Amino acid sequence: MIRSILAGMTEFALTALVISVVILAVLVPVAMAQSDPMQVLQLFILGPLGSMRSIGNILEAATPTMLTGLAATVIFRAGSFNLGIEGSFFVGGISATAAALMLPLTGFVAAPTAILAGALVGSLACIVPGYLRVRFGASEMVNSLVLNFAFLYAGIFVLNYFLRDPNAGALASYRLPENFALDRLMQGTRLHSGVIIALIACILGGIWLYGTRSGLNVRIVGAGPGMAQHLGLSAAGLVMRAQIIGGLVAGMAGAIEVLGLYSRFTWTSLPGHGWTGITVAILARENPYIVLPAALFLAYLQVGGDRLSRNMDLPSEVVGLATAAIMLVVTATAIFRHPAFLRLIRDIKGQEQVA
Amino acid sequence: MIEALWGNISDPALFATVLRVMTPLLLAALGVLISDRAGVLNIGMEGIMLSGALVGVLASAWTGQPFIGLFAALACGGMLGALMALAINGLGTHFIITGIALNLAAASATTLGLFLATGDKGMSGALQSGVLPSITIPLVHDMPVVGRLLSGHHMLTYLAILAVPLVSIMLARTPLGLHIRAVGSDHKAAATAGVSRNRTQLLALTLSGVFGGAAGSYLSMGYVSWFAQNMTAGRGFIAIAAEVMGMGTAWGTFAAAAVLGIAETTAITMQTMGLPNELMQMIPYIVPVLVLTIYAARRQAKTQTHL
Repeated sequence: MIRSILAGMTEFALTALVISVVILAVLVPVAMAQSDPMQVLQLFILGPLGSMRSIGNILEAATPTMLTGLAATVIFRAGSFNLGIEGSFFVGGISATAAALMLPLTGFVAAPTAILAGALVGSLACIVPGYLRVRFGASEMVNSLVLNFAFLYAGIFVLNYFLRDPNAGALASYRLPENFALDRLMQGTRLHSGVIIALIACILGGIWLYGTRSGLNVRIVGAGPGMAQHLGLSAAGLVMRAQIIGGLVAGMAGAIEVLGLYSRFTWTSLPGHGWTGITVAILARENPYIVLPAALFLAYLQVGGDRLSRNMDLPSEVVGLATAAIMLVVTATAIFRHPAFLRLIRDIKGQEQVA
Repeated sequence: MIEALWGNISDPALFATVLRVMTPLLLAALGVLISDRAGVLNIGMEGIMLSGALVGVLASAWTGQPFIGLFAALACGGMLGALMALAINGLGTHFIITGIALNLAAASATTLGLFLATGDKGMSGALQSGVLPSITIPLVHDMPVVGRLLSGHHMLTYLAILAVPLVSIMLARTPLGLHIRAVGSDHKAAATAGVSRNRTQLLALTLSGVFGGAAGSYLSMGYVSWFAQNMTAGRGFIAIAAEVMGMGTAWGTFAAAAVLGIAETTAITMQTMGLPNELMQMIPYIVPVLVLTIYAARRQAKTQTHL
């Protein structure tokens, strides 16, 4: 037991090392171009941890990506490359807006109902390509990539024709009723109660994936459909189950983001939290528990980038580059499946594992 | 309404619109085709197009030469393709994740690049960037009817159509094409025959990137004359769908790009007739899903009857 924890820590240490190298590789050239390079590094690395308020900002930025990361984790675990999470997030947001503007709800049922509406309608963006895969064998990856944009325009259509406030100037919905807004948790930040939902969702996701028969079956199908068939499991049903759960979580993420942060719905392009969720899932090695720290880490980078762009003339897009590079290196089999590293892990684990 | 639609369809200018809309899809889809046949489907096409579009605008604005812009875009695309190949075979990353990472990086890098060059994050309107010329074919241009159909299109449109038979011949008849197909269908068998997977996929992805760079430069130096943040708007993904619709052949990809070009043109035409803009914009994204599903369903039906 201790040995396997030690082995896990070794792998974590290597991951951390690789990520640090990548961040420095992206950041140092940028910093050198400024008059005070050390200040850039200090702002970026220590700035986000400097005050309670900026820690609140990190939690706020991590809220949507914890959920989309969980969604991606569930879908990837079933062995499916459904990239509809981005579409689900957007549709979830617009559907929650529609529910908030159209349903005459008050009191404590209001926000949960809107979130539920967002989750249900949003899940379609994952369910459709998933179903086409399971039923007809059409590539879920290609279909979901293209369908994301179809859902985007469908959402903008609903926004423009049914929810648009003509007095708002730009394309935006009517003001969301106050009683649908999620509670703010911390003064001076936009941190809202959605972060608690995200936290609980990830823990429940972990319990489901590792602690229940249903989760185990999904993992078996993902590891190898042949094995699943041999055991008499219905691969189609299990893959579909993962798409539905993933879609619901991603739709819920969009709904929570809108109700938690905004007074109007204003997205007119895909917000990108679905893609970040995929990065989170990959960084977390498709483990719902590790999704939490992974999302927090990427949010920490994001807040660091915001610091840079506010205090120096550096666009926060630098972080996007670092994130993409991190996504690559943490999946690099040349590093994490290197014979020397595997041997090291085996030695640490000792006799527990028979090679 | 039907009359108005017919009036629009019978207009010869519509043919030109189809070609205009089809060009970036065809160029990008041919690039995706080459990568797919080598076994590394280029999901990063969207990012390559976006980068090519920006580099083309910047290089042409700095030098005042549109053609230098084009070559810079091609070089940038090729370089990104080569980088993908190095990541896949050098670092051992998964090709889908590599493509997603490239798309994410390109979205950030192009915004960053545009900001550093112009101080604006949204559009390159302040830059005097070049436009690649259209070509008038002498003699043909003056012929009635045929002249208007065949002559006066953008140079990259001709290049894209010319590339269809070239890519087809390259894949079917040249040693490089044979190596690409061999590595794509079974890289271990190819290795026993002495065909290097690393080298072949590097060449294929570089070539794929060059096509992506051309598609991107068409967007910012032909379709319009500026660069805007995220201006590809999913065209790289439609190109992937077109390649899959084309069943992995150059001519099939050509047909698929034409179908999608017609779909988008129909969408544009119907918008001008007052139908909801947003619903019409969905058409080019829904058509590939329908076609791919029908293909898959037919393939499934076939295998079931054979059993």
